[in-house]
Amino acid sequence: MTDDRPRPELPGRPPALELRGITKRFPGVVANDAVNLAVRAGDIHAVVGENGAGKTTLMSILYGLFPPDEGEIFIGGERVRFNSALDAIRSGMGMVHQAFRLFPTLSVADNVVFREEPTRKMLIDRAAAVRSVRELAEHYELAVDPRALAETQPVGVLQRVEILKALYRDAQILILDEPTAVLTPQERDRLFAVIRRLRDSGRTILFVTHKLGEVMAVSDRVTVLRNGRAVADLLTAETSPEEITLHMTGRTVDLNRRAAPRQPGNPVLTVSNLTVTGEHGRPVVDGADFAVRAGEIVGVAGVAGNGQTELIEAIAGLREAAGEVTINGVDVTAAGVGERRRAGLAYVPEDRHRVGSSHRASVSDNLLLGHQRNPETGRRGWFNLRRVRDHARRLIKTFDIKAGGIKNAVSTLSGGNLQKLVVAREISHNAPLLIAEQPTRGLDIAAIEYIHGRLVSFRDEGGAVLLVSAELSEVLALSSRILVMFEGRITAELDPETVDEPEIGLYMTGARREEGDGGGAGENSGG
Amino acid sequence: MGAAPGRTAVDKTRELLRKAWSNPVWFSVVFALTTGLAIVLLTGGNPLLAYGEMFRGAATGSGLRGTLNQAIPVIGMALAVSVAFRAGVINLGGEGQMVIGGLAGSLVAIYLPGPGPVVVPAAMAAGAVTGMAWAMLPAFGQTRLRLPILITSLLLNYVARSITGYLVRFPFLDDGVTLTSTRPVPETARIPKTPLAGGVSLSLIMVLLLGGLAWLIYRRTVVGYETQMAGLNGRFARYGGIQVERQTVGVMAAAGAMGGLIGTHLIIGDAYRFIDGELVLTGVAWTGLLVALLAANRPVFILIAGLLFAGLQIGGQAMQRNAGVSWRLAQVLQAVVIVAVASRLSLSRWKRRPRSAEAESEATAVGEV
Repeated sequence: MTDDRPRPELPGRPPALELRGITKRFPGVVANDAVNLAVRAGDIHAVVGENGAGKTTLMSILYGLFPPDEGEIFIGGERVRFNSALDAIRSGMGMVHQAFRLFPTLSVADNVVFREEPTRKMLIDRAAAVRSVRELAEHYELAVDPRALAETQPVGVLQRVEILKALYRDAQILILDEPTAVLTPQERDRLFAVIRRLRDSGRTILFVTHKLGEVMAVSDRVTVLRNGRAVADLLTAETSPEEITLHMTGRTVDLNRRAAPRQPGNPVLTVSNLTVTGEHGRPVVDGADFAVRAGEIVGVAGVAGNGQTELIEAIAGLREAAGEVTINGVDVTAAGVGERRRAGLAYVPEDRHRVGSSHRASVSDNLLLGHQRNPETGRRGWFNLRRVRDHARRLIKTFDIKAGGIKNAVSTLSGGNLQKLVVAREISHNAPLLIAEQPTRGLDIAAIEYIHGRLVSFRDEGGAVLLVSAELSEVLALSSRILVMFEGRITAELDPETVDEPEIGLYMTGARREEGDGGGAGENSGG
Repeated sequence: MGAAPGRTAVDKTRELLRKAWSNPVWFSVVFALTTGLAIVLLTGGNPLLAYGEMFRGAATGSGLRGTLNQAIPVIGMALAVSVAFRAGVINLGGEGQMVIGGLAGSLVAIYLPGPGPVVVPAAMAAGAVTGMAWAMLPAFGQTRLRLPILITSLLLNYVARSITGYLVRFPFLDDGVTLTSTRPVPETARIPKTPLAGGVSLSLIMVLLLGGLAWLIYRRTVVGYETQMAGLNGRFARYGGIQVERQTVGVMAAAGAMGGLIGTHLIIGDAYRFIDGELVLTGVAWTGLLVALLAANRPVFILIAGLLFAGLQIGGQAMQRNAGVSWRLAQVLQAVVIVAVASRLSLSRWKRRPRSAEAESEATAVGEV
């Protein structure tokens, strides 16, 4: 990589944080290749790169989660060695992980104060914990319920808990690994305000992302990683999204490609009066009525936690619900997941780590799920091992999944490659219906573009797609119709050709709704 | 010739040693032997003599026969446990399934008239079916009533013990002897001995077949794949359309049947009378659980680890006879191995190697065991 622009100068005093020659190898992959990175104190420093470029690995090394094979870390000019995250925390580092690291069975407050619990007479002072978490949350405008169990909270809230965890420890150097992936535009703007406030109070922020808009909006400097190397080190004010993209991908991408609408066919998925009752007896999905037809993508927009997750789980058969569901003309209301899949359901779940994959199982085994009874991989309950391997290799090749080998554990894959694996496995079912839930969360532009292309070609071949996404731009770019969910109800059906992001935002926040003509929006409101 | 090939051989050996060393199982075995060595030294014994006698007592002459016979139930129960554990079903009821099945099987052997080739298989089948039926209680308890198998299967062990105790004490008591036991199993209804090592039970072939079958199922079949996926991540399995509940019942049926088979073998192939409490006293079901743990539920390793533990038990007795070191040292060795494995102790951990290396070792299902 030749970059004839001079490296941005650092002032006389040592950088808050410096990495020199960090190299990390995993089986079959060099995740970081002699990476240098200098972060000035009081800067918001963005680290951008595609999936598998080595961002998460680099941050994990920085946070002491595993040691580099080579290279050194300096904080405030002094060499440090981290044997664990605890060492990193003691050195004033804080990290908000991309994949949440929370105790599902503990309360939000307990998660935040873990290992730093306020005590009274040697006992944990729960009331004080709740109080200080609530104050912290209010101060930084990150709404959480400190007493709620983490496992009952939607991912959007869990993200806020992660941020609070680092803030609670008063970290001087804060690493945010893809922090905005699950936030709404409003929440994202609030987070940026938080980040700026933290910077202005003298803290240093390392902001890992692949969203160029965010880099431009919030960062002071940006380091670009590509294939494990740091290929550029730029001042944000002097660069442009196009230039960063060029460094990231070596080519330019069209960020606003819109999918051409297509004439839809017969309904593949019909949902009538679907109601899911939540923990407190309140409906979390309230009388959903809609259909998805062959050859169309129906987008579901909504702020995280408004019933989208539950709606999808109910359609997939993973959650009990009242109402009717048919897939490809088969009534699957009472059916389990297996029967629904046989009727024609393929499903990319929201949580690719805990639901969409098995991290201790191999790449090959992960690609096999759902295909294990196909004639393609064997007969009468016996595998043809060669065909099983071919199946895995073919999908890795077709979907360009960067995996060291098909026998490697899936936990060695980067987030983006794991998502590609899940998408590959589900699309290759050739099912008439594909549910794609947050299909590009946490992915970089090239991977997003790739997965969007896959969804569009799936639609063009006559497939029906139900797309749920927290990314409004994604819903707008792909959908033939948009359903908006608010507090468990489908409050609007919108035409992506005639609405824009701010208008959808009004529906998403409940400021506007389109009801009154019967129960909910959709195709068959008669129910 | 020359230096080059020799060097690669050295490198290969070194690589192999490094792998073995960083493998928690081998490391644990070496660690246990070293601990035992230190204990014998501290107590004024001769560790080399003790280990020598232990080995001689386990691997030669009648000791080998003893080891192989002892290995049959240990391996069998370990396989039964592993089948459940690998599917994520925590079946701690192996003992009860073995005891109940064992009594049913021996009653058939004692009271069913007929030639051996008919009675023995009938007894084995009866044992398997009864063990399976007993395992259905915790299985349906979990799938229908949400009662955790972990708890119910464990508690049902005591129920099984009491039921068999009653049956042996009253309806099926042999009045002719002072033991609380059934009548002896007729000569014709006993499992025959093979000529191997001077009389190893034919059941050895049965457990080897069971181990081979398990290996084949995990390596080559959809059922093996699906159960393993459920064991590794239940949410993933459910999401993929695997019927985890139904599978739980199936897995418990297999485990219970194997327990029943081993219980029956222990009576009609070894003790020849069902004496109240005897199957429980030997703790063989729990030794099997430890073996499954040591072998990480892999069939081939279970065969090896089962032989190791059986050898420790048999060799320990010889060591006491011939070297004057208490046979309890063998138990200490077993315990240290298990504690070390359970804490996943290995040199690689001490060196803080990345966690991905550990993850890799568990990445097995189809096409590998």
